[in-house]
This record gives sequence, C-alpha cells and structure tokens, in this order.
Amino acid sequence: MSGLRDILLALAALGAATAGFTALSLAMERHWEQLHGRGAPLPVRARRGLRHAGTVGLLVSLASCIALRGAAQGWVAWAGVLTLAGITLVLVLGYAPRGVARLGWGAAALALLALAAVLAPALLA
Amino acid sequence: MKEGFRQSMAWLHTWSGLLVGWILFMVFAAGTASYFRDEITLWMKPELHAAAPARVPQALAIGLAQQTLEERAGGSRRWFITMPTARNPALEASWIPAPPEGADPQARPKRREFGSATLDPATGRELGAARATRGGDFFFRLHFDLHYMSALWGRWIVGVCAMCMLVAILSGVVTHKRIFKDFFTFRPARGQRSWLDAHNASAVLALPYHLMITYTGLVTLMFMYLPSGVQAIYPDKPDAFYADLNGGPAGNAKPAPERAALAPLGPMLEQATRSWHGAPVGRITVTHPGRANATVNLVLQEGRDMTQDLPNLTFDGVTGKLLSGAGRERGGAVATRGVMYGLHVGRFADPLMRALFFLSGLAGCAMVATGLLMWAVKERPKQLKIRADGKVGFGLRLVDGLNLGGIAGLLLAMPVLFWANRLLPVGGAGRPDLEIACFFGAWAIAAVAGLAFPARPMWRLQLGLGGALFALLPVLNAATGGAGLATSLARGQWAIAGFDLVGLGLGAMLLYAALRLGPRAAVKPRLAGSAA
Repeated sequence: MSGLRDILLALAALGAATAGFTALSLAMERHWEQLHGRGAPLPVRARRGLRHAGTVGLLVSLASCIALRGAAQGWVAWAGVLTLAGITLVLVLGYAPRGVARLGWGAAALALLALAAVLAPALLA
Repeated sequence: MKEGFRQSMAWLHTWSGLLVGWILFMVFAAGTASYFRDEITLWMKPELHAAAPARVPQALAIGLAQQTLEERAGGSRRWFITMPTARNPALEASWIPAPPEGADPQARPKRREFGSATLDPATGRELGAARATRGGDFFFRLHFDLHYMSALWGRWIVGVCAMCMLVAILSGVVTHKRIFKDFFTFRPARGQRSWLDAHNASAVLALPYHLMITYTGLVTLMFMYLPSGVQAIYPDKPDAFYADLNGGPAGNAKPAPERAALAPLGPMLEQATRSWHGAPVGRITVTHPGRANATVNLVLQEGRDMTQDLPNLTFDGVTGKLLSGAGRERGGAVATRGVMYGLHVGRFADPLMRALFFLSGLAGCAMVATGLLMWAVKERPKQLKIRADGKVGFGLRLVDGLNLGGIAGLLLAMPVLFWANRLLPVGGAGRPDLEIACFFGAWAIAAVAGLAFPARPMWRLQLGLGGALFALLPVLNAATGGAGLATSLARGQWAIAGFDLVGLGLGAMLLYAALRLGPRAAVKPRLAGSAA
C-alpha cells in the first residue's frame, strides 16, 4: 500500500506546485495579459487572491514532499518538483498561453483528488 | 571600479562561462547520464535482459560469493562484494590480484588488472556470459576523470572548470537583474531574446540544483583540491587519514606472511544487519583474504540515508570478531561532507527523486548550451554591423565551431556508444576500449566537421543524426538480442523500458530541433533595439 500512497503524494506535490506557480504567474501583469489579451486590467483583488492561492499551492506541495520523503529529503524532492512544475508552466506560457488556465485548474484538481485519496482512509477510520 | 558592479559581474559571467563551457556541457551531460549508471550498464548487456535473478536472503548470497572468490581469486590483495539491490539484482564479486613477483607492493593497482564476476545470487553461478563493456561506468568516470589521460589531470581540469561554473552561477545571479519579474518568461521565436529567456529559465528554475551540484561536485574531490589540512595532520600517510575517515582498514597494510583460513562471511553479515535494525548490507571489502591479518569491512546498503558516509563495521577476518565501527560518533564536519557527497551522487534517490535529478541535470545541460550559443548570437550582429563583407572574425568562427562540436557533436557521440555496444562483434579482445574509441571517434569527426563548416546545415545534420540514433535505440535494442519495449513493459522491467523511452524522448527532442532549424523556420535576427 505504501507504493500507492507514495504515488498519490508525488502527484499531489506536482499538482499543487504546478497550480501554485500558475496562480503566481497570473498575478503578474505580463502573464495575466497573455491569458486575457493585451491591455486587460488585472484587478487588485484578483492579484491578491492569486498570490494567496499560489502561496498555499507551494506550501501544500512542500508538505506533500515532506510527507513523502521525510523532513530532510523532502526539501530536496521539493526543489526538484518546483523545477519540473516551473518548466512545464514556462513551456505552456511560451507556446500555448491560452491553455494556462486549464493547466492551473487541472493541476489543482489533480492535487486535491490525490490528497483526498491519501487522507480519506485516515479521516474515515 | 570604472564600470558598475553589475557590468563587471556580467563580464565575469560571460568569460567564466564561455571559456570552460564546452567541457562543462560534457560534464553535465555525462554526469546526468550517471544517475542511471546501473540502468545503462544493464541495457548495454542484453544477455542479462532475459530474466531477472531471484531475490534471496543476503546470508545465502554472501556465502556463494565467498565460495566463488575462494575458487577464483585466492591470494588476492582485496575482494569486493556488492550485494544485489532493486536497481541491480545481480551479485557482483571483484578482486585485486596480488602484485606480480618483484613488483613494488606499494604501487597502486591499475583498474584493468581487477578481476570481476557477475553472479546469480541464488545459485552463485556466473550470470549468462555478458559482453565485456564499461557500460554506464564510462559516463560516470568521464564526467570527472575525462579519458585518454591520467585521472589526476582529468580531475584537476574538471575541478578548474567546476570552479569557473560556480563563479558563473553566482555572477549570473547578480547579472540577471529581473530574476523574479522574468521568472516564468519565455518568448519563443524572437531571436536573441528567446535565447536569453531560455538561458534564464533553465538556470533560474533549477538554480538550487545547479548550485548544489557544482558545489558538492567540488566537495567530492576536496581532499585533492585542498590537501593542506590532511597533510598537516597526517604527514606522509594519507591512507591512514582515509582509514580514519571511512572507518575501514588502512589500504596499504602489508599482508601477513602467515596463511589462515578466512572465517565465513555469513555470520558477520548477520551481526551487521542486526546492529542496523535489519537494514541490508551493501558492500563488503575483504582485505588480504587467506592471510593471518585479514579484515572484513561491511557497509550499510545505499538508498536510505542522504549521506554517503554510511555506517560500517570491521571484523577480524580469521576469528570473525568485531574490531571497530559499532556506535562510532561522527563529528559535524564529517557528517556535513557525507551529506554533501551523498547529495551529489544521489544514490539515496528513489525512482521519483532520480527522475527529478535527471530532469534538473537536463536543465543544466540546456543552461550551459544556451549560454554558449548566446555568446555567438550576441556577437554576430555586432560584427556584421562593422564588417561590410559579411564575414565574421576568427573568434566567433571558432566559438561557432566549438559549439557545434561540443554540443551537437557530443549529442551525436553519446548514442554512437550505444550503437557500438550492440553492433561490435561480441567477444573480441579489448572490446570495451573499442566501444569507447567509437564514441570519441564519432565525436572527433563531428568536431572537425563543425570547425570546418560552422553553419546551420551542419547543425541540422548533426542534431538530426544524433536524434535519429537516439530515437532508434528501442529498435536497436529489440533487434540485437535485448528485451524490446513490448517485452520489457509486459514483464515490468522498468530499467530497460525506461532506457528505451528516454532514448526515444531525447531523440524526438533533437529531431524536433533539427526540424526547427530548417530553412523555412529561420528567424531574422532583430538588430534594432537589441542593445539591451
């Protein structure tokens, strides 16, 4: 069973990091405009919300990594997860900027499902 | 300072990166491949693809290894036994033969004199006569020893390059004034701008990795680069220092003249495992087997702790009594070095972490390659503005040629090694060296061709050829006796399937790059406004 738990935690870490980075990038005018068109205004509230969501995403990713590999190796795994998430996002923003919202929501959904599957047995028991 | 701090750092970044960039690209590429050293070795021995050896208790396997070594390597200076792991399910036994009569007994043995046997851990029989090859060890050694020169020279050269890399990383961070503003920025098909974006993204997104791998790489060889501390406390006897550091027996102890039978290794292994709360043993070193002063050193198996400084126990080889190692306390400095060493070689990594390390290593390759290319991309418009005849100076032509040979040439030579491994006749003498000669031969031809015609069609040719050779590795594997993709996936042989899939992926990327360099996709350099 620990094999399945490891896979779920890894998916949660990757999904949360990708979603978090996506939110943080959309809180920047340059990338907001890539999604919504040139000159589209970025409301202050949206920016703040995106930043909070992004921070939460990265922290959830860190927590998943630590749950996966322990307090020492978890940080090493997190650095690698952030690299993979960042490269994925940069490629999507570069070549298919309109798809970035789908990437963010998809990654967030993946992370939530994986986390739910990890936590459910503990909560139900 | 005439110029500002940032300008001088930009100068430093450019030159510390450019001058050693071609060696750094090789070090990064070969080092990244070394994360899958065992898997590469397995792929390069298709005779072993048929069946994975069964898992057996360690005590049984070590007894069989001892039996084999006593039959084949009695009177050796040392034996090494590597226990089976999930990544390498075979039992490896190797030995350093006694020095020939009259030779200096203190002389360091050469690697080619080592004997070795790959055994089935369940039966002790030699596993199907696998072809002779250096396998993944070649890339591992290449990335810090270089080749065709003494390892000492290679390590000094790589050390200087790594130090330049560290300087380039730190000065690059200072130079890059918009790290956070440009964090997610990549603007494709915009000429010079795109190269800069790609260089920044590959550097910044994996920055922790780049810093870590460069610094810890220097740490792995720190006693060679900074020997004064050891020399001050251990004058004239560095082996005693390593014995103290690693807890093993001193390497240069002379064999006792009296013979004595070696005690069975099984009980020592059981005692070691008990003291490690059931964790398995990784490597066993027997010094002077069959002599009265024989010692046996057992090290905990890798793949758990981050540190490379693994717990180990030393036993008397004749009586089987524990000599040292139990509950030894390590100081903070030793522990720090152990973790840094462990981080560099990454043997603690599970498959996910290993894949992430590999990906970060690829980002490092991309960072070095884009940095090298960017120098040429920035220099060309400057020269074209000044010179009316449309020709470029010697320096730019040289960098163009070295970029071709150093980047595209290496990416062509790496798959050539795998093709040579499968196509050269099995069983010829000096086969491993012949494989390596094919690698360097292909690289040399690519480099000469690159220096002679440093132009876009040559890039297309070399990238296309390298891409095709990489992408066809699964076909080659299936056609020359290995477990093809369908078989390996069906049997769950992930090491072999993974190699094929990574080859396919790298090949696809290189072919795409060659395609993008086609005449139609040529990007007009934006001269206006590129002064930034």
